Formats: sequence, structure tokens, C-alpha cells
Amino acid sequence: MSMIEFKNVEKYYGDFHALKNVNLSIDAGETVVLIGPSGSGKSTLIRTINGLEEIQEGQLIVNGYDLHDPKTDINRIRKNVGMVFQHFNLYNNKSTLENIMLAPRLVLKRDEAENKKVAMELLDKVGLADKADSMPSALSGGQKQRVAIARSLAMKPKALLFDEPTSALDPEMIGDVLDVMKDIASDSDMTMLVVTHEMNFAKQVADRVIFMDAGEILEDSTTEKFFTNPDDPRAKQFLSQVERH
Amino acid sequence: MIILSSMFSAFSADNLKYLLGGLGITILVSVVSIVLSFVIGSILGVIRYEKIPYFSRFVGLIIDIVRNLPLLLIIFFTYFALPRFGVHLSILTSAIIAMTAFESMMVAEIIRGGLKSIDFGQTEGARSTGMSNAQTMWHIILPQAYKTMIPPLISQFISLVKDTSLATAIVLPELMYRAQIVYGQDNTYMVPILLLIAAMYFVVNYGLSLLAKWFDSKLA
Repeated sequence: MSMIEFKNVEKYYGDFHALKNVNLSIDAGETVVLIGPSGSGKSTLIRTINGLEEIQEGQLIVNGYDLHDPKTDINRIRKNVGMVFQHFNLYNNKSTLENIMLAPRLVLKRDEAENKKVAMELLDKVGLADKADSMPSALSGGQKQRVAIARSLAMKPKALLFDEPTSALDPEMIGDVLDVMKDIASDSDMTMLVVTHEMNFAKQVADRVIFMDAGEILEDSTTEKFFTNPDDPRAKQFLSQVERH
Repeated sequence: MIILSSMFSAFSADNLKYLLGGLGITILVSVVSIVLSFVIGSILGVIRYEKIPYFSRFVGLIIDIVRNLPLLLIIFFTYFALPRFGVHLSILTSAIIAMTAFESMMVAEIIRGGLKSIDFGQTEGARSTGMSNAQTMWHIILPQAYKTMIPPLISQFISLVKDTSLATAIVLPELMYRAQIVYGQDNTYMVPILLLIAAMYFVVNYGLSLLAKWFDSKLA
């Protein structure tokens, strides 16, 4: 069953055509990596999935709800579709634990004792149980991102979107974040869509790789095919450029 | 020497009691207006920040008009002009309404500026977890924005306390008005009385700025 489905989606910023006739289907439980040069529309695409960006034409169905239908309550989709941002976006006025507990309390009305238990388990899972009472300003970038992942997981989402989760991190912080993401990807029920430049991560965890350029999906292949023999010439060129380093 | 000797009679128990009563009214008008304008200003500031079609524009227009009028004009309007529309208010109520109407607009602009200074990522982070716009505003954005707004808000409130003296013009028996009554009895009282009420205003307003510093260090 498809968890996320784009049908002929068009997105404009004023005159700029940001997404061009996007067709894409991601099944429940799949781990998909989205790559492409900067400005190719990867972030725009992933942000449309939980309604942070609006689409102008086409259909976008997420967890059974049509996002383009004005009657759809966007918060019902967001409850089930978490997002992890490049710049973490932790609440600066809340402790680590409160960052994780806030949405389950307000949106899911989760029992307070249960909420705390879940939050502590998640902090433990991302290796930061000792930082429960720290404020975000006291955490390193890698720690912030792991808390942000725990915050998304606390909602027990069906799908998680990662928008360049390691791009703002110092190199030595990236590994810890990727380890947490690999752990999540190994959960066969979780649908994951990851915009990243980490090719090794893509090779290890992705079921499929999607390549975008200039607002279009140019290649949508299994991971093995994508990294050994992609069809699209621009995808080939992109790979040869990133693999040279 | 003349000033010194007149001080003794100027600062008679009756005069001091009368002036302290005036200070009480100044503080009453100030506190009520501060509380009301903080609440109303916050609501208006959030409305203007949210960019609700037409409504936010309309609120913005009202804010811009009122902010660019002299406070004294607004005081005159509430006390002298409203009765012509059948609205009769006491002097105290008129003063409070005029102060609140004016200060709410100033507060609204401070609130909007504070909200705009918060990184939009905070909003996106909260909305992406399924929190509503109102929950995001209340739990995440406003608490952070208020922190940045404390210094400008307090200086606005200090202006408010000082501006209550304008209500002298509609004979509100506040501190400034009562000072004039006291030295009206005897011209030699003028300097000591003005110095005394200057000290009173200073103590109240300096207290407010100390409060601002305390908040600042507490929240920083």
C-alpha cells in the first residue's frame, strides 16, 4: 500500500517552477533516499509531504489523505508523518525532555506518566538519556539532531521525513546521527524519505534512490541499480562528481 | 533659605497625604492600563503577525492611525467627544480607556516585532509535529518572543506612567494635577512640590526599569 503518492504534482514559487509534473509512490515501510544537486527541488518536494509547502496542481495523497483538498485537516497528516530538519528546529524555550513530550501531550493527549516513559526511552535510544534536563542551547549540533529525531519518533509516526539531517553538522557529529537513522530504517513498519548527500548512507539503508534535477524526478531506481548503472545521464554525471571525493 | 523654609510648610502632613493620594491614582491608572494594553496589544500584535486576509490589514491600519495621534487628543476624544455619541464616562474611566487605546497599539507593534524576530524554524518544528497554529504560538513562539520584548515593553510602560500626567487636562486627580493644586495655594511651594513629585515619578519608573533588568537576568 502506498504511504505517499504524488500524481502530476506542480509547485510554483511565483514564476519559478519548483516541482515539474512529479509522479512518485512510496510504499509503507520503504526507505527511500532523495538526492540531487542543490536547488533541484529535493527539499521542496519533501516539505510538500507534510504541508509545509503547498502544491498548486495535481494530487498528493499521504496516509490516505489528499493534501491538496482544502477539507483535509493538515494536522491529521502531521500526527502520522514526522519531519527532521537540517537546522533541527528544537524549541529553544524547552528542555530536551519537554521538546519530546510537548506534541504527544498536546496533540495525542498522551497520559503524562506514559508520555515521560516514552520520551525517556527514546532519549535512551538516541544515546542522550543524560541530557533530559538540558536546554537545546547546551547541546552540540549532533545531539540536537538526535533529540529532534526522538521528538519526531515520540508521535509514533507511520512515516518520517528527513530534510538534509546531517548537512549542518560538523563531520565528527554525522556518524552518530546516521547510526540513529539506520536503526530507524531497520524497523520494517517505518516509511522513511531522506534528502541527503551521504551516499554511503544511501547505499547501506535505501531500498530505492530518487534523483532530481531542476524540479523533475529524473531517475527512480533500486539502490543497487542507481549506484551501478543509472539510466539518466545527469544522474550518472552527478554520481561521478560526488564519488570523486 | 526661602526655599528651605517654604519646604517645611509645603511638605505639611496634609499636603503629603494629598499628593500620595494623587500618586495612588497615577499608579492605579498606570497598572490598569498596563495590564489591559498588554493583553489587547498582544492579541492585536498576533493578529497583525499572522497575516489573516483583510483582517490583519485592517488591524494594521487602525494601529498605524492611533499610533500617529497625540495621546492628549485621544484623551480629549474619550472624555469630551464620546458624550456627543451618547457615551458618558467618568474621568477615571476616560483616562484609562484613552491610555489603553493608545498603549495597546504601541504594545501591538512591539509584540509583532518580537514575534518576527523568532526563527521561523521554531514554527515549522512545532507545526510538523501536528501542533495547531494556536498551540505553536502559545507554547513556543510567544514565550520566546516575550523574552526579547521585555526591554522595549518596559520602556513603553515607563512612558505610560509618565503620560498619565496628561490626564491633568481632563482634571483627573492624579499626581501632576494635585501638585498644581498644592502649589496653587502658595507660589513658594512650586519648586519643592515639583521636586517632590519628580522624585515620586522617578522612584516608580526606576523601579520599573529595575524590574526589567531583573526579568532580563532571570530569563537570559
